[in-house]
Order: sequence, then structure tokens, then C-alpha cells
Amino acid sequence: MGQTIIEKILARASGRATVAPGDYLEVTTSCPTVMAPHSAMDKGAGLITEWNAKIYDPTKVMLVDGHLGATASHGAAEKRKALREWAATVGVPEENMWDLGRSGIENMVAVEQVWALPGECYFQGVNGHISTAGALGSFASALSFGTAAYLLRGVNWVKVPQTIKLVVTGEPRADCTPRDVSEYVLGQLGPSGAVGAILEWTGPYIDALDMEGRFAICSQALFTGAWTAIMNPDDTTMRWVGERIDTSGLEPQTSDQDADFAAVLHFDVDGLTPRIVPPPQRHEIHDLKDYLGIKINRGFIGSDANGWLRDMNHAARVLKGNTIAHHVILNITPGTPRVLKGAVASGAFTTFLESECVVPTPNEGMEWGANTPLTDGDVCIASAQTNYPGRMGGKTSQIFLANPAVVAASCIAGEIVDPYEYFEGK
Amino acid sequence: MRGNAWKFSGILDVDWEICSYLLVRQLADKGPVTEEMLGEHCLVNVDPDFPKKVRKGDFVVAGPNMGYGHDHDHASMALKGAGVAAVLCENSAPYFLRNSIDHGLPVIELPGIMAAVDTGDDLEVDLRAGKVVNHSRPGHELTFTPLPDFLLDVLDAGGIYPMLKPRYEGSAGR
Repeated sequence: MGQTIIEKILARASGRATVAPGDYLEVTTSCPTVMAPHSAMDKGAGLITEWNAKIYDPTKVMLVDGHLGATASHGAAEKRKALREWAATVGVPEENMWDLGRSGIENMVAVEQVWALPGECYFQGVNGHISTAGALGSFASALSFGTAAYLLRGVNWVKVPQTIKLVVTGEPRADCTPRDVSEYVLGQLGPSGAVGAILEWTGPYIDALDMEGRFAICSQALFTGAWTAIMNPDDTTMRWVGERIDTSGLEPQTSDQDADFAAVLHFDVDGLTPRIVPPPQRHEIHDLKDYLGIKINRGFIGSDANGWLRDMNHAARVLKGNTIAHHVILNITPGTPRVLKGAVASGAFTTFLESECVVPTPNEGMEWGANTPLTDGDVCIASAQTNYPGRMGGKTSQIFLANPAVVAASCIAGEIVDPYEYFEGK
Repeated sequence: MRGNAWKFSGILDVDWEICSYLLVRQLADKGPVTEEMLGEHCLVNVDPDFPKKVRKGDFVVAGPNMGYGHDHDHASMALKGAGVAAVLCENSAPYFLRNSIDHGLPVIELPGIMAAVDTGDDLEVDLRAGKVVNHSRPGHELTFTPLPDFLLDVLDAGGIYPMLKPRYEGSAGR
């Protein structure tokens, strides 16, 4: 019997020849651990200094502000200061500080810097959407409240998960993004369709996709109940990696043909139209056409689902030559400085300004109400990750989730519309 | 452990049904957030009176994908703060399970639990033996594979940090 990519990575990380689903392992990695100022001190970091305790390797800690950005709220100044003081005490080198101007969404910085290595485990202190890094062929997981425990021990435990193989074929409509494919598959699986499992994304659709699109798809794994997502590294993967780091010494892994998958599920996304997720349930995925005409007054394009350069250009295609409705604020937040620079080079950034959008510094930003927050009664169309009540502020505000083309077209119209006219025949 | 069951159906998102994330953020703006503070708001979006009705040592019984959504650990704190002794569920979102154990709250994945238990039932749970006895339904007993010893040790210590403290305190020699 062959092994899945996840089983091979976990076997290597635990020093075993083979592992099987259900095995409990102690695993290590050479990858660094990202922590973020908005949450680090709540995840046990404060205990390390309080106990006068030593962490396993201070040079392996990266401090990335992916959530506070330039906000004045959310205790930003105090949290930033507290983490810097903590870092100085435990010995994290100054060059490991990724603060404003250099930082972006933690998961996106981690894959741009290739801190998550193909063939290894990658443990991040914050953010379950770190499944993003599975697109590099890493077993990527958040440590959450266990972050400080990992920093003390340098060892993490895993229960080897089952792998569900997804085979995706077909070509979605031009106004879709990879996010729509991910939402469609979530809708088919249901919120409990993959609990605790690994989603292994494969098939011709994935093979043809660029890395940004692959990261976006992997970012949403937890909404199916899956632990994380992974893809088998190919030439596209290794080109992204090789452009950024020295690849000698890497040992990328791939699944064997005869590996033991818990299920192999096929999805044909040919001609798929944009998806929409109405509030308040994250797992109720609908066709956009069922929600046309709903009045909106706020828009957001960003997050690790749609804050990539391909998303900026996707939105610009709709916005070019148009301005958004006067009663609407459209916040477009590039995920990282690389994305912002790319949007400047492609002309998308100028289009956003001409369309009268607001472009904050790269970060999660509006995703969790850290800038242009919502208040009671606001209705937002957003390419964010989540839509539960109060996510962006305002207990009775509403968040509809959709791709950047839908957001942009809806902000022009002042109501939810189908963006296909901007793509048809062009 | 012995207590009464509180059964909840449907998807329970850590950030809404179990404990509103907006509320956590608002509390955090005022100072440190404790388990007791969050316990007063535990599951109120499903049953507004739950924090008043639940007694220390009771159990929450839930369906599949308990603790759906983000890896936010405040939901585990809220349940613990409300006095919940353990969560028994069909299965659990992996981050909710890990965060709960690290906070010292047992989460037991036990297919069939929803059919075997009603709200108000008198349950006895043995984590090491892997056994749930429903005293309200005589003869009704469910078994499960116990967590491995190293995780039971975390639960016995009351969480990962109480367990690690004696081992690591003073190790930096600063």
C-alpha cells in the first residue's frame, strides 16, 4: 500500500518509516514559526517571560503583523509594543520583526518567503487559514493556544489524519476566481463533510492554476471541518520556491498512486458561475443569481482568499472606467507589499483610485473590522473569509461573501449584481 | 465525572454560537479576558439562559463538527468558564479539540452520542476507561477509544501550561 503526501511528511517529521491514520506522533520541523502581535500574548507567550523560560530556538520565531495594520483600534499600539518587548527578552533577532511597511497577512507572507517548506511540517502561531501553505506541499497547521507550548518544547503532537482526495476538472466562467471553486466544493461537501481530514486538491483544474490561485483554494479548508489542505508539488510549485529560496536540500513529497485515501471525490466546475455566501452561516453556499438586487453600502476586497495580485487585477477589470456608487465605500486591501507593488505595476492601483476606492496598507484590515469597520445596519459585500455577526463590527451588520468581480460590480451598482457583463466576449 | 447533559443540535461555530467573537474583542479592549467572563456568554446565541441553567460539572453534547470555524480558542474558555466539565460530540473540528485540551477541557469524539442522550440526562464519564454511562437510560453505556496518556496528563494538570510550568520555569536563567 502506498502513502499519501501527508503520511510521508509526517513519517519524515517523526523519524518513522511509515505512519497510518490514527497514529499519535511527536513531530519536528526546520521551518520557523510565525506569531502576530494582535494575538501572540493571548496564546501563552506572556507565560514564557513570566516564567523566565527559554524557548527552543529564538531565531526560528518570525513576528508578522498581519492583522493590526494601521488601525487605531484593537489595542494596536499596546499589542505591538508588548510583542517587541517580549521578543527582546526572549532573544528574537531584530530582522525577524515583520512590522508595518514590510508585513502583510501572515499566511501570505509565509508562502511568499517560503517559510513553509515542501516536504516539511509548518506550524504557525496564528490563523487556521495557514492551510494556504499546503499549496507548497507542506503540512501546514496553526498552533493557536498551544503556540507557547511549541516554542518551549520545539516539538508538536499530531494524530495522523485521513486524507480526502479531491479531483477537480473543468473551467469556471471568466468572472470566477479559484475562491468560487473552493466555495462550490465546500457547498458539495457540507460543513461536516471532511471533519478532521486533510483535503488533497488534485486534477487538471489545479494543475493549470498559478500559485496564487492554489494558495487561495487551500486557505479555506477549515470551513469543511478539515484540519488543513495540501497539493502535490509540481513544476509550478518548484518555480515559485526556486525564485525565492535555495532549493538544494529540500525533499518535496507526493502521494503514491496506490495511497489509501479515505475518499476520492470528483468535481466538475466547467461553466461554474460565481458563488455567494449570505449571512450568517459560513457553510451555506449559494449561486450568486439567487441574491441579485440586495442593496449594499460597503464593499471589501482582500483576505487570504482574495487579496492576491490576481484578485487585484480581477477587480480592476470591472472597475476600469467606472466609479463606485456615492453611498458606497469600497475597501481594497492588498494582502502583502508584494501584491501592492504588483498592483501598481499592472495599473490596477491607479484604477482603484480613479474608481474612488480606498486602499489601506497591506493587511487583513477590514476582514476583522480593523479599518473601515461596519456598524449596525450596514450591508457589506466582501471577498473576506467569514460572515458571522459582528465579524467586521456592528452586531446587526450583514456580510455577503463573494469574489472580487462580484464585489466591484456590486459597489458600482449599489446592489448585488452579476459581473459577467465585464467579462463577456472580452 | 458525573453531571447532567445539555444537548445542542446543528453547527456550533466557535465565533458565534459558542461565544461571539465581537464580544471577545469588545471585552479585550477593556482588559484581560477570563474564562469566567466568557462563561457568562457561553452558547447564549442558541439558548440565552444556558449560562444560568448549566451547573458546574455538566456536559455539553453536540453533533458533528463541534467547534466549527476558526482556530480561535475563546470558545473553549467560554465552555470551561460556564462550568462545563467535558464536551461529548459526534466529532470535533480539529482546532477546537486541540485548543480545548490545551485549556484543560476534555473533548470526546463519540459517534452515536446524539441519539443516546437527551438534555437533562444524568451522565457518568470515565476518560481513562473510555466509557459513558447514561444513568437516565438504565443499561445504556457507550464506549470510546480513550485519548492517549500524554493528553490525559494535560487534562489532569488542568491544561498544557499548568503541566509545563514546573518543567520550564526559570529555564532561561535571565
